[in-house]
This record gives sequence, C-alpha cells and structure tokens, in this order.
Amino acid sequence: MSERLYKIQLPIFLTALFGILMILEHFFQMPSVVAGFNVTMRSFVTIVSAAALMLGIIFLTIAHVRTISEKKSEWYYSIFYIVSLLITAGLGMVGVRNESFLWIYNNMTSPIGAALYSLTAFYITSAAYRVFRARNWSASILLVCGFIVLMMLIPIGAIIFPPVVPIGEWLRSFPSSAGFRGMIMGTSLGVMGLGVRVFTGRQKEHLGIREERAGGE
Amino acid sequence: MSIIDKLLNIDQRIIFFLMFIALAFPILNPVILPMAVQDYSRKAFEFSDSIPEGSIVLFEGGLGAATYPQGGPGMVAQIYHMLTKGVKIVFFSIGTEQNVWTMKAIETALDKLPAGTPAENGVNWVHWGYIAGGESGVGSLVNDIRATVSADYFGTPIDDIPLLESVNDASAFSAVLWWGGSEGSMPYGIRQISVPFNIPITGMCTTNEVPNFSPYISAGQLQGLFGGVRGSAEYEYLLHLPGPALGQAMATNFGGLLWMVLVILGNVMYFIQRTRGEA
Repeated sequence: MSERLYKIQLPIFLTALFGILMILEHFFQMPSVVAGFNVTMRSFVTIVSAAALMLGIIFLTIAHVRTISEKKSEWYYSIFYIVSLLITAGLGMVGVRNESFLWIYNNMTSPIGAALYSLTAFYITSAAYRVFRARNWSASILLVCGFIVLMMLIPIGAIIFPPVVPIGEWLRSFPSSAGFRGMIMGTSLGVMGLGVRVFTGRQKEHLGIREERAGGE
Repeated sequence: MSIIDKLLNIDQRIIFFLMFIALAFPILNPVILPMAVQDYSRKAFEFSDSIPEGSIVLFEGGLGAATYPQGGPGMVAQIYHMLTKGVKIVFFSIGTEQNVWTMKAIETALDKLPAGTPAENGVNWVHWGYIAGGESGVGSLVNDIRATVSADYFGTPIDDIPLLESVNDASAFSAVLWWGGSEGSMPYGIRQISVPFNIPITGMCTTNEVPNFSPYISAGQLQGLFGGVRGSAEYEYLLHLPGPALGQAMATNFGGLLWMVLVILGNVMYFIQRTRGEA
C-alpha cells in the first residue's frame, strides 16, 4: 500500500497540483507566493531539460560502445559517433567561441545539414513524377491545388501566370487555414482531455506505468 | 516494354541529375528576375519596419545547419534592419545547435552594417544563448528573466549588461521576432509571450511549415511570416540589401518548373496508358 502511495498516488497528486497552479496563473492574478513558486518550478524545468540532454548523450554513448564491443552489424559507424562526440565535445568544452569548434560548424555541420535537407527536393521530384497522378477527382483537385500553390511560391510563377498569386493566397488563407485551424483546435482539445486524465490519475504513462485497458477504454 | 513504360520507369538518377542542373545552374550563374512579394512577407516587413527606434525586441534564433541556408540570409536582413533603425535586440535560442547559428547570423549582419551604426554587444544587442526546456523554458524566461538566465552567450553576467538593466520580464519588449526555421516552435512565442503580455509577434519558418501558421495570421495573432528561402529573398528585396537568398530563390524557379514539367509529363503518359487500357 505504501509503495503504491509514493510510486503512484503521490506523483499523480504532485502532477495535478503543479499543473493546476500553472493553469490558474495563466488565467488569474495569483498571490505573489504562488507566482514565485511557479517561477521556481519553471526554472526547475529548464534545469531538468538540460540534465536530460546530458543523460541522452550518456545513454546514446553507452549504446554505441556496446555496439562496438559486441561487434553488432555496422558497428564501425559507432566509431564515427564516438570520435565525433569526443572531438566536438572536447573542443566545445575549451570554449564555444573556440575557432576550431566553430570550424566544425561552418565547414562540416553546415554543409552536411544543408545537403541532407536539400536531398528532399530530389526525392520528392522523383516520387511526384512516379505517383502524383490524376487518378480520380480528389487526386485531380489535389494536383491542381499543388500546381497553383507551387506556382505561387516560385518567384517567376506570378510573371508566367499572374492570377496564380490571388488564387494561391486564397487557397492558403482559407481552405488550408481552415483545415489547420481545425487540426489545432482538435489537438488543443485532446491536450486538455489528456491533462484532465493525467490530473485525475486515469493516465499513468508519464509515470512509466502502462496499464492494459479492458473493453477498449 | 513500350517507350511510355520506359519513360515512366526512368532511372531516378536521371531525375536527380536534371534537378541538380536546374538548381545548380542559376546559383552558379545568378540572373535576378523580377519577383512578386507575397502578402505574408510584406506584412512581416511592414510590421518590422514600424517598430519604433529605441525599442527592445526579443529575437528567437531557431535556425540550424539544415535550415540556415534558407532562413539565414533573411535573419541577417532582419538583424541588419533592426540595428540600422536603432532597435535593440535580445537574442536567445531554444536549441543547442541553433544558438551557434544565431551568433553566426549576428556576426554576418554586423559585418554588413554601414559604418557608424551603433551595434555594441551589451548595449545594442545581447545574446542569451541556449535556453533549455522548450515551451516551458520560454515560459520561465519571459516571466522572470533573472531566474532563468544568469549570463549571456559570452559568459557575461546579465546584471553587468547595460541593455538588460530594466529588463526583468517580457513586458520590456516591444515585439517578438521568432525565426523558428523548422522547429515548429512559433506557437510557443504566441502562447507564452504574445498573448499573455500583449506583444505583437512575427517571424520566419521553412516553406513547408507556412500552412501550419496561416491560421495564426488570419486570426491576427501573428503579424506576418517569412516563408523559406523565398521569404528571405523578399526581405533582402524589400530592404534593398541584395544577398545570397535572392540567388537561391532564382534557383527555386528552375527547380519548381522542372518539378511541374515532370509531373505533367507523368500524367500525360499515365492518361495515354489508361486510354489504351494499360494502366
């Protein structure tokens, strides 16, 4: 019973207490004691997040060291990770304004990151050529809208076919905006529902407890 | 196998090569063609231009290695714009990598400034560096700055920074400029700063994220938006500060046109096949 108290009930109570205090502060003027307490709690979040980053690096490194020691498939890639981590972290600890550290950013991270992101242009074009077909009415509408929006987005589009700008902006401001607004509202309602479930202890996954639910609850 | 089948099953490396030519040629041989400025970009520019001299703005630098090439030139233009107007800037990033790229943009903008423009670190601008905690970190920062940040990017204690003497929370800022790139973090700025403190916000995201934020523009919660490299190019164009984004935006002309030609070609061949009963 006592184990259940400190492993389940107490964390749920604390989650609900802190969560409700944060929500109340958002809508009402709270006494300075509560406001000050909330500031401290938010500072804790930044500290815990920074610590979690460190924890992530440690666990990832352990996983790669294990891959190398057990000679798992493609273990040699893990050596790249370890070497890159040691060099980058080492130089970063000397100083983030260190010239060698910035050299890595400017001459390695930047071109690699940009190249990876730009690869999508090549794969999307190849995929669109093969599968973007007007197979039925809905696919045709999607194709036409895609063309209009792309024409609007490329700088020369408005010169080739000027009406594409007002039509494209209308598509973006109304049908697309309405769809995304619905999605945002749906997500927000879902988050509110999830919050209520967490506060009332009906959702315990954040405590590492996965419960089997009967009857599809 | 018919010619149509062969064309429809063309080796994707040929498409990659054509796309490479379409993108590389205009970058290597830049020809700046006339360009229509999008409504969202114009709104963002006009809002930025209306920020009064002497104001302090909060600037989230969220561009990373992948997104800096498209948003970086626009971010440089925005920093240049603010500093030449006499607006003071407080930078921060919610990503570990992004705070380095923000510093790179600051340095690039400082190099471009006309001689004599006040741009002293700690007086006209300050960079807080990385703020951990995502949205909660932003909430913590803007409600009590000194409880969240103790020193700036260079390690200077914030109590020793003249620009921050009277800055204790977000109410000190006149505007928020949120260059979120592909972080998808712009709603953090809207929820944690713009709405509770009644501070207008504008910013930048990658092209594919523009539709995500269009509801905020139509609701008036976001003043405008620079989208992708086109947005950066439009900022350079509106500011009369030609830079790398204009050349890159011209490359998107050819890349976009190639995409459309290939999709039309694919559909024409598909219809021929369907008419023949082969598809």
